[in-house]
Amino acid sequence: MRTWSDSEAALAKALPAPVRYALQVLAYAAFAAVIGYFSTAPAYRQLADNEAVVKLSFSHAAQLKQVCRERSESELAKLAPNMRNKLDCPRERAVVSVELDMDDKPLYRIDTPPSGLSRDGAATVYRRLAIPAGRHKFSARLADGAGGTFDHRREASIDLVPGQVLVVDFLSGSGGFVFTHGKPP
Amino acid sequence: MSTVLSAFRIADERLTGAFDYAFRPADNPWRHLGALAFLCLVISVASGIIAYTLYNISVSGAYDSGLRLQNDPLLLGRLLRGLHRYAADAFMLLSVLHLVREAMRGHFRGVRWFSWLTGIPLLWMLWIAGITGLWLLWDARALFSLTATAEWLQALPLSADLLARNFLTPGALNDRFISLIVFIHIGMPLLLLAALWVHVQRVSLPRMWPPRALTAGSLVMLSVLALSLPAQSLGPVNTGRVAARLSLDWFYLFPHPLVDWLSASSVWLLAVLLTATLAILPWIRSPGSAARLLSRAARVDPANCNGCSRCAADCPFGAVVMIARTDDRHHPRQASVIDDLCAACGICVGACPSSTPFRRSEDIVSGIEMPDAPIAVLRRELQQKLGRLSGSEKIVVFACRSAANFASLADASTAVIPLECAAMLPPSFFDYATRMGATGAVIAGCREADCEYRLGDQWVRQRVAGVREPRVRPATRRDCIAVVWCGREIDGVRAAIATLRMGVRPNPVNTITTNTTEVQS
Repeated sequence: MRTWSDSEAALAKALPAPVRYALQVLAYAAFAAVIGYFSTAPAYRQLADNEAVVKLSFSHAAQLKQVCRERSESELAKLAPNMRNKLDCPRERAVVSVELDMDDKPLYRIDTPPSGLSRDGAATVYRRLAIPAGRHKFSARLADGAGGTFDHRREASIDLVPGQVLVVDFLSGSGGFVFTHGKPP
Repeated sequence: MSTVLSAFRIADERLTGAFDYAFRPADNPWRHLGALAFLCLVISVASGIIAYTLYNISVSGAYDSGLRLQNDPLLLGRLLRGLHRYAADAFMLLSVLHLVREAMRGHFRGVRWFSWLTGIPLLWMLWIAGITGLWLLWDARALFSLTATAEWLQALPLSADLLARNFLTPGALNDRFISLIVFIHIGMPLLLLAALWVHVQRVSLPRMWPPRALTAGSLVMLSVLALSLPAQSLGPVNTGRVAARLSLDWFYLFPHPLVDWLSASSVWLLAVLLTATLAILPWIRSPGSAARLLSRAARVDPANCNGCSRCAADCPFGAVVMIARTDDRHHPRQASVIDDLCAACGICVGACPSSTPFRRSEDIVSGIEMPDAPIAVLRRELQQKLGRLSGSEKIVVFACRSAANFASLADASTAVIPLECAAMLPPSFFDYATRMGATGAVIAGCREADCEYRLGDQWVRQRVAGVREPRVRPATRRDCIAVVWCGREIDGVRAAIATLRMGVRPNPVNTITTNTTEVQS
């Protein structure tokens, strides 16, 4: 009675065993080469050789858009008894505007609305910018009031080597803009 | 779509055939992509468990853990780390190839929709498991990937928080974050294993493990790769520096360059579109789809079912189950078909002992029948076609319709009986055909180990060899039977017909495989 192995042997007869084994080694080697190569290569170029990086990022709750006001007696009377607060304080915050200049030229501008359904959360910004390495004068301005005037400013001249990262953050608790840059190698 | 699928199928057959030259059909890696992927998962998990015991879960110690393995003088650390990394890479590659091959073969339609659909989340899971593993190395590549992933996730309107701010300064990184990555990196493969179990739920006898030869070969290959090309960490995490050029593991980190080249939202759109397209593939019907020979699910006739359970044992999709009898016959059980799982391949009919053409009744009814091709019709077709043949050497070809269109083989002395699957033919039909005047019978099907319905070729081979019920009757002249696994290359069948016409061979069964014209003797 013929069995499965016989039929397999039929195909095996098509090529001599050493040739088949050599082809198997070749197949394994080709697979290993694909795995080995693409596990590290080709190298990905994320920056040009002479570029540095500026990361502008902050999470800042702007000022309230409107100041609190006192409700009149007639307004209070229209409200349900449990809602009759004298002060009416709208929760909505102002849009945060930020401008970052490099060497007195605009590098990045953005107006960020507050987060949240009632627009009462923090405004957030994250932006990664590639710039030429070298000494640059950075100037950051931020407006977080209803009037849109830039109340917070900071300027600094920083020397950035290729690949160095400058983080421009805004921390109201630390007095405003914070420039952080890693030490050059 | 059917034209495209047909072209893909031909390409797949040629590729499979190319591998057959080097490997035996049963050991052909192209036929075991899913099982090989599973093997790589197991290697990754096993090596990962050992690596975890040597890993320091802290910002200050994570990087050194990788270095310690990398620089182990006994090379065991290098082997462990390389096996873990390269098996994970191979897992991704093999899974994608498995998906591509199944798509090329149209294995997302019909009852296979479940396996197809449940396979899609596996790709996402294995990607998450893999990318978190690269983060645990806590090197420059990990920081790049973490930042890039955070930037990509920020494009989704899920949270007002900026994830990328966690990687801006050294002070933002803490040990709890490493613990979180470890949790995901261990949890995701566990989830993956559970999802894999679901993935194979609707197939019988799933091939989870590759053949021993392939397992050994894969282990040796990965070990040699791990030792000759050690997996290495890049420099330690430094939030103040960005490398201009970075070596990436493209199997898992490919989305990052894509986000840079396109945009975060474009890549999300691409990912969603690709996932959705894969998910709806089973329900896309094209007007040009080839009509199936059988479309309705198998039906059980309790009056002819003796509850032997062979149909349940042979069904490749678990569509036949044994239940308590619904009539008063003395057999304790009877077969029952779950329509939603039935692929209408007819393999159960071939397994049923009552599907014999030797029964005297004019309108024989089998214990389990295909409503579109009852066994009585098959017998009548055989009788009529044999009756129309002329010449002294009449050959009947029982041809699997899924393999190819064999109609062109029909001539004055050759009859072709199409079947949905070669295993649909009850073995007693061979004997019946010769008694009805056929000089020989050929059964032709998909390429060896490539049955469209998974197990058909296996069952035919075992039934003809007499090691599986129902067997070819001992009295049957086996030298008049040729079994040809040829796929679309029907020249193999022509060669078998010519061989049978040349005369009776001294050996039991002529077996011809794929495109070879050699006859076993």
